[in-house]
Amino acid sequence: MTDHDSPAPAVPSAPGQWVLLSYRLPREPSTPRITVWRKLKRLGVVQISDGLIALPADARTREQLEWIAEEITDVGGTATLWIAHPAALAEERRLARTMTDARTAEYQAVRAQAEEARHQPDDERQRTLRKLRAELRRIQRRDYFPPPQRRTAEAAVEALHPAHPSNTDSAPEENSA
Amino acid sequence: MKWATRAGIHIDRAACAWLLRRFVDPDAEFVFVTDPAEAPADATPFDMRGAELGHHHGDCSFETILRRYDLTADPALRRIAEIIHEADLDDERFDAPEAPGLDVVLRGLSMIGDDEHTMAVTKPVFDGLYEYYRRATLLGREPA
Repeated sequence: MTDHDSPAPAVPSAPGQWVLLSYRLPREPSTPRITVWRKLKRLGVVQISDGLIALPADARTREQLEWIAEEITDVGGTATLWIAHPAALAEERRLARTMTDARTAEYQAVRAQAEEARHQPDDERQRTLRKLRAELRRIQRRDYFPPPQRRTAEAAVEALHPAHPSNTDSAPEENSA
Repeated sequence: MKWATRAGIHIDRAACAWLLRRFVDPDAEFVFVTDPAEAPADATPFDMRGAELGHHHGDCSFETILRRYDLTADPALRRIAEIIHEADLDDERFDAPEAPGLDVVLRGLSMIGDDEHTMAVTKPVFDGLYEYYRRATLLGREPA
């Protein structure tokens, strides 16, 4: 099975393992629904349909979804965890693409904020640097298929540091020398 | 007593095993299983789905065990619980900058040895952390 499309990143020749969570939560109260959804979003899940989400299977994703399944049953819902292979590579690529697109948008937002902060005063820029590093770390934790924007966002954030080469030669009003 | 947990231990289970052996049951014997159904009937399960000593109400298993065995009065254990919580769940409920580093150390350990090895290596690590936060509590600041 070879890829006849335009050059794509190295893709395996068979679909990999995914962990799926199918769940149902009572409509009311809404707080547990929101809590669960926030946790799933934080993990970067892809939603296949209403009440069915997926992540590439590894020890961590499987465990995290197991605990969320437990939490769902604790609040009176139902949850089943599945380990599955998409039937075709194209299916898997579609899932991966959805996840990559979501992360790309997040990285682009970080990069935009970093570029906007370039000309902030020193201490304000340091605060932005700390904030964006933390934000990057959160995104990286749920980035299963890294897009090229990951690197550009990282570079834009690190460029906010006073010791970064771009700041030592182009910041006349600063005293970083 | 016998205690059972899932094989392939990471931060929460390694810390729970240390906690159980040091503060609850000095003769604790641990069984690692791949499926909760394989846990021996005479073993108390922890950090497994459906177990009393598991994740509950947003807490990790370490926090659940602290509460279950009335260990929450110890500030050093409470601090370790915050670190384990963040290393395991990473939900920013606590400020624990130690967590990501400890998490990576445990992940790496699981790649080079079995669960017995991880337990043997992490025992002095958790003993050391406990001593550090015990002294920090006494001093009211970071110990040297």
